Amino acid sequence: MSHPRLLNACAAMLRRDLTLAWRRRGDIAMPVLYALIVTMLFPFALGPEDTLLQRIAGGVVLVTVLLAMLLALDAMFSSDIEDGSLEQLVLAPQPLALMLGMKILAHWLTTALPLIVIAPLLAAMLHLPGAVIPVLLLALLLATPLLSLLGAVLVALTAGTRRSGMLLALMLLPLCVPAVIFAAGAVAAAQQGLPWLAPIAWLGAALVLAVVLAPLACAAALRIALDA
Amino acid sequence: MSNWIPLWLHKLGSPPTFYRFAGALRPWAMALALLFGAIALYGGLVLAPADYQQGDAYRIIFIHVPSAWMSMFIYAVMGVAAFIALVWRLKLAEVVAMESAPIGAAFTFITLVTGSLWGKPMWGTWWTWDARLTSELVLLFLYLGVIGLYHAFEDRRQGARAAAFLAIIGIINVPIVHFSVNWWNTLHQGSTINVFGQSKISWDMLWPLLSMMLATKFYYIASLFSRVRTDLLALEGGKDWVRKIAESEARQ
Amino acid sequence: MSALQTFFAESGNAAAFFKMGGYAAYVWPAYAVFFIVLIVDSIAPRLRRRRVLRELRARIARQSSRQDRAASNPIITPPSL
Repeated sequence: MSHPRLLNACAAMLRRDLTLAWRRRGDIAMPVLYALIVTMLFPFALGPEDTLLQRIAGGVVLVTVLLAMLLALDAMFSSDIEDGSLEQLVLAPQPLALMLGMKILAHWLTTALPLIVIAPLLAAMLHLPGAVIPVLLLALLLATPLLSLLGAVLVALTAGTRRSGMLLALMLLPLCVPAVIFAAGAVAAAQQGLPWLAPIAWLGAALVLAVVLAPLACAAALRIALDA
Repeated sequence: MSNWIPLWLHKLGSPPTFYRFAGALRPWAMALALLFGAIALYGGLVLAPADYQQGDAYRIIFIHVPSAWMSMFIYAVMGVAAFIALVWRLKLAEVVAMESAPIGAAFTFITLVTGSLWGKPMWGTWWTWDARLTSELVLLFLYLGVIGLYHAFEDRRQGARAAAFLAIIGIINVPIVHFSVNWWNTLHQGSTINVFGQSKISWDMLWPLLSMMLATKFYYIASLFSRVRTDLLALEGGKDWVRKIAESEARQ
Repeated sequence: MSALQTFFAESGNAAAFFKMGGYAAYVWPAYAVFFIVLIVDSIAPRLRRRRVLRELRARIARQSSRQDRAASNPIITPPSL
């Protein structure tokens, strides 16, 4: 009997977070704008040669998306901590990990998905060949949830602290190295006409692992950080 | 009678007992560190012959490799202490984990700098993006993240628990980083020391290395005990045993 | 230190030892970094210990003076600490 109720709670959680995000539409646009500006700066910094830009395009788009996500990561739980609803969630009878998983999903939908949507535009700005763009999108589709999940654990850990922006970047950097390597590796392989399935498969495996473990770790981290 | 070991450990886990225990052991550990360090320096810099390929530049190995071992060993100690701190909420384990982090970061920093100084004459470059170097750099960032998270909390014990959690996440992460960078690119020379098999290094060069390894281990114990003692004083500031120490040291 | 002297005698002079076969610019800075970092690492807790104890003594002194005042003049004792 508890299954439909649990599903209802999940759906309510997702709907609530998406509604809140929709009420603050400006915040959704910020990471997208940031990614556009950063990508625009690269040709100015490196010169407009097509061959050079083509070679770095995949990596630049990936790192830019990563940084834009990092920018938005800080806000994942902050408003819920301020108004106390996160503490209510910890006390709620529903499993905390599942509820946090829904929050992470909502956060991914509102920050990473817009970035993925404009990724082809970013890639085109740097003259990435059109044939490679599907691989780039696939890599982003697997790498961004991974970053959201890993980032959520770290955001939960810093939930009890005042200043966390720079600290979050310092903590996330070591964790996101493998994701960046495999995602950029897939794009680079596709660009050189090599088989790109292996790194994508590794990313997929890591994502499956993270989907299972990260919400649990996130819940444990949140219990530590909020336990005064 | 079979439970005397847990009882002894339990007693050792109490701050005043550990404070006295660490205070008694620390000078010995430091003396042994200095002794083995001096032997290693003499053996490594004076007695060991120059390498037929690398000349005298290889002598950096006597500090580079022990530091690299320590950077990983200390992370392992920190991880175990962090696990104990999270599961049993032992105050001493929290302190050991958090005070290990700066020492580990120091050894990681030494490893990176000495490796860079060794790489320049040997490979012709200060830095290369190979798996071992990159893992070591990531290790440094992990240490800095743990230290940063610990100090970001106003409540010290809460900070210690959060940072302990991060340390455990890091333990899972380091092999993944190593594997992924290895997949990506590699250029480093193979492992020169294999404890279980035939070493590729001559005995004249091996014994100073092992002596330095002992020296760094003892140094870690000495430095850790010194730090843990200070931290216990700060954490237990309101308790009687700390007041007695504060007053007795004022009279000296 | 006779072994060191014989080493120097064999290799010509002390300068040869410090030259490190031409790699002095790499070997000695590496050793310098090793020792400087470890010396800083071992001095830092000592300084911190001194600061912690000084603060603690100041706190004890404040508390005892407050108690003295309270004992000598019980009427203006603050209701709670």
